[in-house]
Amino acid sequence: MSRPLIQIDDLVREMTEEEYAAYLYNIEHTDPLPNA
Amino acid sequence: MNGIGLWLVKSQTVGTGVSSVNVTSAFTADFDNYRIHWNNGTLSAQTSLEFKLGASTSTYNYKMLYGSYANATVAGSGKENQAKFEWCGGGDSNFAVMDVTVFQPFLTKYTGICTNGFYNPNVEMGIMSGVHKTATSYSDFTLTPSGGATMTGGTIYVYGYRNV
Repeated sequence: MSRPLIQIDDLVREMTEEEYAAYLYNIEHTDPLPNA
Repeated sequence: MNGIGLWLVKSQTVGTGVSSVNVTSAFTADFDNYRIHWNNGTLSAQTSLEFKLGASTSTYNYKMLYGSYANATVAGSGKENQAKFEWCGGGDSNFAVMDVTVFQPFLTKYTGICTNGFYNPNVEMGIMSGVHKTATSYSDFTLTPSGGATMTGGTIYVYGYRNV
């Protein structure tokens, strides 16, 4: 399974394993959008 | 380089379906304060954008006042010592934009940020201000759509405000 893409200036590539772990951690630790 | 009020430091075209965009060499000694826009792109889901300075993942403190276009209700949300700034623009598959001002990111001081109302801009507005409480110089930033969404297209513009 391919990992999500990240972009660094003009370079677009798949996340490394470490980047993907940090990405998943960030999603798990971010609240849903607040809505009034 | 420092002879006009607002100088286009850099523009960066956003790729297709990217989960984050890192913009390098955005902040330099030429300017203290910066305006960053993103327009003409889309998000894969309705969400907002997260903003990080360099590789820093701590000491982000911020608060937002927000509300729906549908009513007069104003709500608030604040967070301390987080891993990123949230609510720095956003949108969905129809309309996604960003407009933030970043204060002194290249100086070896705390960095400030404020947004100009674009938060979840198809249905809501929200004005966020915050401070990153680490006295470090940063030259790059990263935008990440919340919740695992992706960005497609458009251009990120980085402008520098003229120093005295």
